[in-house]
Amino acid sequence: MRYLIRTGGVLLVLSICYLLLAGPVQQKQLNRRVKTLLLDVQEGLQKYHVEEEVYPKEMMSGRELIPFLAEGGFLDEKVLNPWVEDLYVNTGEVDDWLRYRTDQLAETYELKALVPGSDGVHFRLDSVENHSLEER
Amino acid sequence: MKAFLPDAKKLRADAAAPFGLKVLGPNGSQIGYALRTMPRTRDIVGYSGPTDALIVFDQETQVAGVSIRHSYDTPSHVEDVKLDLLFMESWNGKTREEIAAIEDPGSEGIYAVSGATRTSEALIESISSRLQDDPLENVSRPLSFGWKDICLLFFLLVGCLFAFWKNASFQKFRWLYSVLTIGVLGLWMGDLIAQSLMVGWMETRIPWEATPGLVLLVAAAFVIPWFTRQPVYCQFICPHGNLQRWTRKVLPAKWKLRLSDDNKFISRWIPPMLLGVVLLVSFWQLDFDLAGIEPFDAYLLGGAGLATIFVAVIGLLISFFIPMAYCKFACPTGWLLEFVRRRSGKGKFGHRDWMGAGLLILAAGLHQGWFSI
Repeated sequence: MRYLIRTGGVLLVLSICYLLLAGPVQQKQLNRRVKTLLLDVQEGLQKYHVEEEVYPKEMMSGRELIPFLAEGGFLDEKVLNPWVEDLYVNTGEVDDWLRYRTDQLAETYELKALVPGSDGVHFRLDSVENHSLEER
Repeated sequence: MKAFLPDAKKLRADAAAPFGLKVLGPNGSQIGYALRTMPRTRDIVGYSGPTDALIVFDQETQVAGVSIRHSYDTPSHVEDVKLDLLFMESWNGKTREEIAAIEDPGSEGIYAVSGATRTSEALIESISSRLQDDPLENVSRPLSFGWKDICLLFFLLVGCLFAFWKNASFQKFRWLYSVLTIGVLGLWMGDLIAQSLMVGWMETRIPWEATPGLVLLVAAAFVIPWFTRQPVYCQFICPHGNLQRWTRKVLPAKWKLRLSDDNKFISRWIPPMLLGVVLLVSFWQLDFDLAGIEPFDAYLLGGAGLATIFVAVIGLLISFFIPMAYCKFACPTGWLLEFVRRRSGKGKFGHRDWMGAGLLILAAGLHQGWFSI
């Protein structure tokens, strides 16, 4: 009985420590997945630009952009959606927080990963001002 | 950038001194200039780390605004500085030359933020240094020994006297020393040894020339128990420990609770596990304010976060019934200092040593990348 109480107590302390860290760890993992997605899509856009000399002209969400780039062979279609950890091609509208747009001449691009459930920008990557993935 | 210069469209690196960024408007003409304080000012450490600020000048070469880009300092202190608009707007309207020439920030209306004094003072110095004439030269701070350092050394020396000089007529003043540590060292200066402080120093650098008093206090807290087996910091200097010593006198003895052996056993796991949390946060660079796991930041009344206030209040309330409860069963910093003390002169490998070995293996593993996320 004594060992049971002590083991249970130590596990309780361990659980509290786990609870303290769970949120920040999940956020860090999500940040890393989102950054990987943005860099993959950026590479796809750059390959597209080499081939077509312009960037895709339409404003698109992630679930539109990724199949578009994959169709042309500029991006692997097995890209993961970082917010649901499933293939992006299976992603529903509600779980897609990637946004793409270009300028009038399709000479620049902007990729934004939004904070889920809001219009706030989590990460931004573009060809003009934000060449690195800085957290907002 | 757009917050200060709404028409900003592009940034272009400036190859000439002060090596900042030219801010270009819609038609490509220069509408302002921007400078980052880092990496030049990386050696200017506030409480636990340096701060990178963005200084934006308008077309008239006057400061349009200052913002904090990133900081390695204690997050709650940085947040206090960010939210103090009066402080953040202190530089607005001043030219680069005017700021570089400032010797006494107070005379120019630039005052440190209460509750985040060291963080805001470091930011003032970073901005001033970045705008000096030689922007390529890394900033090195001369040794500055201010009144705060003198106070800290006073508390350290008097604490040592109480620990080692057992003269009865001197010891009867310990109550006064105890009150002074709470009032001056804790509430007024806010200089308590904490994990957030030590981790910040380890991640950046030890600011021995900027805060020599605090560095000596931390060094003494580890070295003195090692050589003398006297826990000088925990037993005499720590304001939170002293406050708990007062709380235990409030209630009559019959109201005190005694922990069972099982509860004592379980409670003793709390500090090393919190140290494990500290290691994970530090090595994995998690977005987690370590000041929140200890009560020490609560002494900075204006700048304390909710978590640290919660830990401080709950710890004190429990200490009314279980004397020195926080020190004995929850303080990771105290556990670390006690670990040093216990090892001096003993030949046995006890439960603390196993825990210490476990933490060492965890740290080594994290360093080697065995436990990645």
